[in-house]
Amino acid sequence: MGDEYYLELSENPVQFENASSVNNVFFDEANKQVFAVRSGGATGVVVKGPDDKSSVAFRMDDKGEVKCIKFSLGNKILAVQRTTKSVDFINFIPDYPHLEFSHECKTKNASILGFCWTNWNEIVFVTDQGIEFYQVLPDKRTLKLLKSQSINVNWYMYCPETAVLLLSTTVQGNVLQPFAFKSATMSKMSKFEIELPAVPKPAKLSLSERDIAVATIYDQLYVMYLKHHSRTTNSPGAEVVLYHLPREGTCKKTHMLKLNTTGKFALNVVDNLVVVHHQSSQTSLIYDIKLRESDGNVNVHQPVLPARSINPFKIPLTGPAAAPSQAPVPCELYSSSWSVFQPDIIISASEGYLWYLQVKLQPTLNLLQDKGKLMDFLLRRRDCKMVILSVCSQMLIGGDKGNLSVVATVFDKLNQVYKEYLDAEQAYTAAMESGPSRSSTSYKRPVRTQAVIDQSDMYTHVLSDFTEKKDVKHKFIIAVLMEYIRSLNQFQIPVQHYLYELVIKTLVQHNLFYMLHQFLQYHVLSDSKPLACLLLSLESTYAPAHQLSLDMLKRLSTANDEIVEVLLSKQQVLAALRFIRSVGGHDNVSARKFLDAARQTNNTMLFYTIFRFFEQRNMRLRGNPGFNQGEHCEEHVVFFKETFGENALMKQATA
Amino acid sequence: MDPNSQQSGNMEEVKIFDPSILPPCLDQIDLAYSDSDVLSENHCVNEDHRMPSDPEGLLDSADPTSEESNQPQEPSSTDMQKLDIDDDRPLCAGGSETDSGKASEDSALVDNGQDDSSEFVVTVLARGKMEEQGMGMKGASSPLCDTPLGPPSHRNEDVTAESWRQHRKHVFVLSEAGKPIYSRYGSEEALSSTMGVMMALVSFVQSGDNIIRSVYSDEHTVVFMQRGPLVLVSVSSSRQSEQQLRNELLYVYNQIVSMLTQASITRIFEHKKNYDLRRLLAGSEKILDGLLDLVDSDPSLLLCAVHCLPLASSLRDSLSQILQKAITPNLVFSILIAKNQLLTIVQEKMVIDDARLEPADLHLLLNLIGASSAFQAGEIWTPICLPSFNPDCYFYAYISYLDPPECTVCLVLLSTDKEAFYSVAECKRKIEEAMQAQNALNAISKAHSYSVSQVGVSDLRHFMYKPFDVPDNHRQLTQFTSPEMEAPYGSEEEQTRLLDLYRDMHSRIHSTSRPLKLIYHVAERETLLAWVTSKFELYTCFSPLVTKTCAINAITKLLRWIKKEEDRLFIRYPPKYSTTPNPSKSSRDGH
Amino acid sequence: MLMISPRMASGMQEKQYTPSLLSFFIYNPKFGPREGEEEKKILFYHPIEIEKNEKIRNVGLCEAIVQFTRTFCPTKPAKSLHTQKNRQFFHEPEENFWMVMIVRNPMVEKPNKDGKPPTVEYQEEEIIDSVYGSVLQQCYSMYKLFNGTFSRAFEAGGVELLTQKLEKFFYRYLQTLHLQSCDLLDVFGGISFFPLDKMTYLKIQSFVNRVEESLSLIKYTAFLYNDQLIWSGLEQEDMRILYKYLTTSLFPRHTEPELAGRDSPLRPEVAGNLLHYGRFLTGPANLKDPDAKFRFPRIFVNTEDSYEELHLIVYKAMSAAVCFMVNSAVDLSREFCEQLDSMVGPHLTLLASDICEQYNVNRRISGPEKEPQFKFIYFNHMNLAEKSTIHMRKTASVSLTSVHPDLMKILGDINCDFARVDEDEEIIVKAMTDYWVVGKKSDQRELYVILNQKNANLIEVNEEVKRLCATQFNNIFFLD
Repeated sequence: MGDEYYLELSENPVQFENASSVNNVFFDEANKQVFAVRSGGATGVVVKGPDDKSSVAFRMDDKGEVKCIKFSLGNKILAVQRTTKSVDFINFIPDYPHLEFSHECKTKNASILGFCWTNWNEIVFVTDQGIEFYQVLPDKRTLKLLKSQSINVNWYMYCPETAVLLLSTTVQGNVLQPFAFKSATMSKMSKFEIELPAVPKPAKLSLSERDIAVATIYDQLYVMYLKHHSRTTNSPGAEVVLYHLPREGTCKKTHMLKLNTTGKFALNVVDNLVVVHHQSSQTSLIYDIKLRESDGNVNVHQPVLPARSINPFKIPLTGPAAAPSQAPVPCELYSSSWSVFQPDIIISASEGYLWYLQVKLQPTLNLLQDKGKLMDFLLRRRDCKMVILSVCSQMLIGGDKGNLSVVATVFDKLNQVYKEYLDAEQAYTAAMESGPSRSSTSYKRPVRTQAVIDQSDMYTHVLSDFTEKKDVKHKFIIAVLMEYIRSLNQFQIPVQHYLYELVIKTLVQHNLFYMLHQFLQYHVLSDSKPLACLLLSLESTYAPAHQLSLDMLKRLSTANDEIVEVLLSKQQVLAALRFIRSVGGHDNVSARKFLDAARQTNNTMLFYTIFRFFEQRNMRLRGNPGFNQGEHCEEHVVFFKETFGENALMKQATA
Repeated sequence: MDPNSQQSGNMEEVKIFDPSILPPCLDQIDLAYSDSDVLSENHCVNEDHRMPSDPEGLLDSADPTSEESNQPQEPSSTDMQKLDIDDDRPLCAGGSETDSGKASEDSALVDNGQDDSSEFVVTVLARGKMEEQGMGMKGASSPLCDTPLGPPSHRNEDVTAESWRQHRKHVFVLSEAGKPIYSRYGSEEALSSTMGVMMALVSFVQSGDNIIRSVYSDEHTVVFMQRGPLVLVSVSSSRQSEQQLRNELLYVYNQIVSMLTQASITRIFEHKKNYDLRRLLAGSEKILDGLLDLVDSDPSLLLCAVHCLPLASSLRDSLSQILQKAITPNLVFSILIAKNQLLTIVQEKMVIDDARLEPADLHLLLNLIGASSAFQAGEIWTPICLPSFNPDCYFYAYISYLDPPECTVCLVLLSTDKEAFYSVAECKRKIEEAMQAQNALNAISKAHSYSVSQVGVSDLRHFMYKPFDVPDNHRQLTQFTSPEMEAPYGSEEEQTRLLDLYRDMHSRIHSTSRPLKLIYHVAERETLLAWVTSKFELYTCFSPLVTKTCAINAITKLLRWIKKEEDRLFIRYPPKYSTTPNPSKSSRDGH
Repeated sequence: MLMISPRMASGMQEKQYTPSLLSFFIYNPKFGPREGEEEKKILFYHPIEIEKNEKIRNVGLCEAIVQFTRTFCPTKPAKSLHTQKNRQFFHEPEENFWMVMIVRNPMVEKPNKDGKPPTVEYQEEEIIDSVYGSVLQQCYSMYKLFNGTFSRAFEAGGVELLTQKLEKFFYRYLQTLHLQSCDLLDVFGGISFFPLDKMTYLKIQSFVNRVEESLSLIKYTAFLYNDQLIWSGLEQEDMRILYKYLTTSLFPRHTEPELAGRDSPLRPEVAGNLLHYGRFLTGPANLKDPDAKFRFPRIFVNTEDSYEELHLIVYKAMSAAVCFMVNSAVDLSREFCEQLDSMVGPHLTLLASDICEQYNVNRRISGPEKEPQFKFIYFNHMNLAEKSTIHMRKTASVSLTSVHPDLMKILGDINCDFARVDEDEEIIVKAMTDYWVVGKKSDQRELYVILNQKNANLIEVNEEVKRLCATQFNNIFFLD
């Protein structure tokens, strides 16, 4: 069980002074900053950012209870809301007067619900009657209205990464109006309605902001609606409904996550997985909206894995609440004091901790039996490489050894991703070569995610030691290797020769030379010089290897020298000479080399032939049968005279 | 009386026949006479054939023999004498109606004769022996010492030894009774059982109304050939075709015939199935050995053509004229040879009108001469049968070297008249004088074969060219020309190898079942091209690296060169003479 | 012209007889060493009718011939005996076990006028030793494939068992020998491989691997398409003879009209449901048949070392045939066969149509017209790959060749020349009929081309062959 927690809290959480009567705690999702405001700031404000260095501490006069406090991007300007009418600002830009100034919302008798920074100097006031989009002019210590829009607002929600503001309107509050912000501009997106399980009579606000979350999943903005279980709908439990919110166009209900239970839930998004925390059972569920079960306009999803609790977390000794010599206390998970922020933040105000939620992939191996599905799941996760590789080894060796068809599917899934990456790469380089000017859309180099498992990964982490395994039947080993090669070919991925070498090594180990021969015959093992050389080395144990390697060299058509060497090493001097002649290289080869080879055969007849051949070549090239100094054939000339006599030498006249 | 009387036993044989008269040169007389017994037989044959030629003639003449032998009072026995008697009877019977006296005389003289003295070879060899002692010639080369005295190593080889098996080509001759007659290696005695098996195989297959041809193993080709009462077997590890091996066996058989004639061989075995023919061939092993060596080393036997010594046509013509002038009745062929190559040959008109001299016969004749240094001394008068010409009759060959002691230039005069020794010898003297007058010998000694480099084609290593477009071809000896074998074919084994390649091409292109027109063979050490047209037959040897284009050009060049040189390379117009022969002497057998 | 051997002579009343089997016998001299026991030596004799002493005599002759040749080379005894009327071939596949095949020479019967009996003329040079020698060796290999070695049988059940097996096998097998149509291909005993692109080949690979994984009983698998081999798990030598059996005996027996349409790729909806064309060529003809027999032929492989006995299951779907070889120790149940059928059938059917599709694609690319342009035979000793555009489908019965038998014999002659030395060689000959025949040997490969450019010269012929090599063999190292 221990290794089955697939969710965990970040190891070193951001710590801050826990909330108390004297200390109010605020969280800014935009900058992921926690504000600890002691007695309205008079006794100090401590800001803890995602990383320690971005933490800031300062004082400000206590001008009443703080409702909301946020830095603009880059901690340039601090905005504080103390009343429902106005927001106060403090310059944090170095060498700017560090003086507060205040701004009232322009709409009369509207009350400010809150504000959000959309830029270092742009801010949106959200009032119950609409929104006001301002530019802050810190030097002038005034705000300039950029745009405003009046609309009844129940509550709002802001998604920093996309700079999209969501307003809950209408009486029931289930009509959501999104606005998108971009430097100094504000654009109204098409509004949409959240289907409520039951329409209350008389109409009353029935969509609470607690049931809505906004997050980007797979680079798409989604509005997640936690649809509670209701008797009227015959659904067995609560659901999370995902509305896809595109930049242009209308928002559509696209996914439905079945929770199959009821109670209090909280949502996170981690590594593109939707995590649903269930308080009563103290467990969490994860959903991958790309793992679709049934098609249709709405995809219904079941949890990818069985419900599991978050990995228990022990509060380290240090920390504000910790007194010396105190054993680390297990912190209470799923506590009611938890507040969950998007995408992956969990804050325990009572204890003064901010965690990031994380997914552990290792445990999923044992939780997801269907290897194909498992692969689909893993291939979309961030740090998946090693896990995927271990899945591969696991399915080849050990108890739950998958059968060939499973192996095949896994390989195919891996190579699909691999192939997509290669194509992108290729397209990119092609575009670069054709010149960036040509293609208006400037290509950016495709990022190689961990999901790209190439042949060398496969070779080093899986196949090489798999083939070493003694207890595995060689039949299976070969079958697996062939499957992998098959899969690569299927995706038109050129196979690296070391894979072929692995195949050959295995076949040779078990004396399956005839199989090897057949593979080469059908060019299953593609040609390459290294492979040809490997084959040559096998000749002593398997004679035909010689022929096979020669054929390969021939097909490579760039290996004429090698061919000559091979033939000479086999004392096939004539063959070598005939070959080089057939490719028209016989005028440039070294006579010495061939004469040496001929001499080594101790076949004077052969020597005579070769000697004559080069005499004639000399004749043809220089009009004189003799050899040049540079050719270093003197000793051969001497030998020729000794064996065949002076006048066997070619005469000037003849030829 | 004769100074040789004190000499060894062999001497006696010769002496025995000594007629009272002592001619100036007793040697030849001895021969002449010693021959006469056998030769008379040929006369009868000839006579038989003077009457309108009928093929049965020979048998006729043989018939009485059989009758005789069947006579009860002549119980056939293994005893030598009996055979001789049987053998001699027909001679007189068939011959001029001589009386039994002659017969008895014959038989008598045979009775005390230890061996088949009637066989001429022996006497020839005897001559050799005598020269050896009398005229102090090199004994080593004398064929006589081969037979009864110390035989050369390969005769008494251990036939069970690996070395014996290693031999490239074995040749065995045996009689239908399975009696050994000749083995190229190892003594016949030691091989008698092996030869027994051979005969068993032959007759076993025969009993199935079938004929055994050959046996093949990975190592050897064994070829069987039966000719009348003789069975010849060749066991060869050379890659020669069956047909070629068979032809070689035919040479062997014909060489035997050239010494005995087919008729007498047939007759002998008719009388005595298990007769030991070695008695008749005693001492002639060396001739067969020589022949087999020739077969392996001399392409002319393969090509059935004669190799002419290249000679300025003027010189050749003058030599021919010399021969044409020196004639006598019944002279049919005058042949001049130098360095075992033909200088010129003059033929009797009438004879060549109905039968031309076959190269094969000439080869046998030359081998006979070459095989025995005995011929190197003085003049020889010896009967010889030319099997292709007529397997049953003898010619009388006058053989004499014109340039002793080098003995490179040899004159051979063939007559049909056994008595013509003196007149033929006279011709030789005329020829000698004429040649001295023209200083021809000197000119001949300068003549020699040529080098392929003279053709001037660098890739060409060697060739053999056999023309068919020689004028008057059908009368002509088939000839061929071929350059010296030079580097890289200097060594003997390389030469044999090249010849083997030629043989291979020859057998393929002349295959009985699948003849070809052209063969281009890129082999491991050379490229060979064989080409047969109506005008010529050509075998060429190139470097293995020659390209086909080069080869073709080379051949065009070569043919042009040969055309240019043909007067020097070949006897273009066969010279003839007419010796107004007594028609009775002209042989018209086998045609 | 299309020529089918045996051919009848063109001459009006002349009659031509092709080579025919006179007798075939197997003996072991050790079995009847003593006088009068000779009959014991004889383990099999065809034809049976032959009178006992005749048999003994003929065996005796063979022994004598072998003995005789041993006097000249003890280690290399006679291979063949040539006589006027016939040829005898000797083969000692196992120590002291001799196989002898006697083939009558082809002959021409020339009728004589005035009622004389016709004169028979034997054509002694027509038979090529290497061809019929190989045929004899094939006889042994085929016997061994289905019965194991002689000696094993002898050890198991003595002479009785051995003679039984021999009679049972050869009685049928000898009738399938068609001596008149033997040629170079019998010398090669090659395997024709199906040309295929890499991807489809890999698909077949994984098909085979998966079947072998899920039906673990299967020890070896071989995959063929259009009677051509694509994959063999068996060792080469065993595959060689099995291939011979499949292509010349089993498949021809089952060539039911396989409509071209059937082979064209299936429509997806058909492929969707389990409709498939799979069926057993060995074993049960019809699985549905309640009393179907599940007996499969047994074969012996790796007789040199492991000596395995296997069931031979041959399963075919359209043009794709698969041999599954299962250890003979287990006997195959209906369940197994049904499992195999249900698993392999649909998959193989799809695969078959894939291959067919691919094949047609490749054909369209390479262009079919280049094929017939050259008449050639190719053989590679290293992988036994064989290709002939001269032979139209070599069936059990006769081989159809598109060239005159004499040309085929010339190929045989050239092949004999090549067999002598290992070095690369090339032989170009011009036949009396003015056909050109080219033989090339490079490394372990042999190529024979027949050209009928009658008035071409050597150089033009050479160019032609170069063109052929460029089109057909550009992907191998083949020296010109």
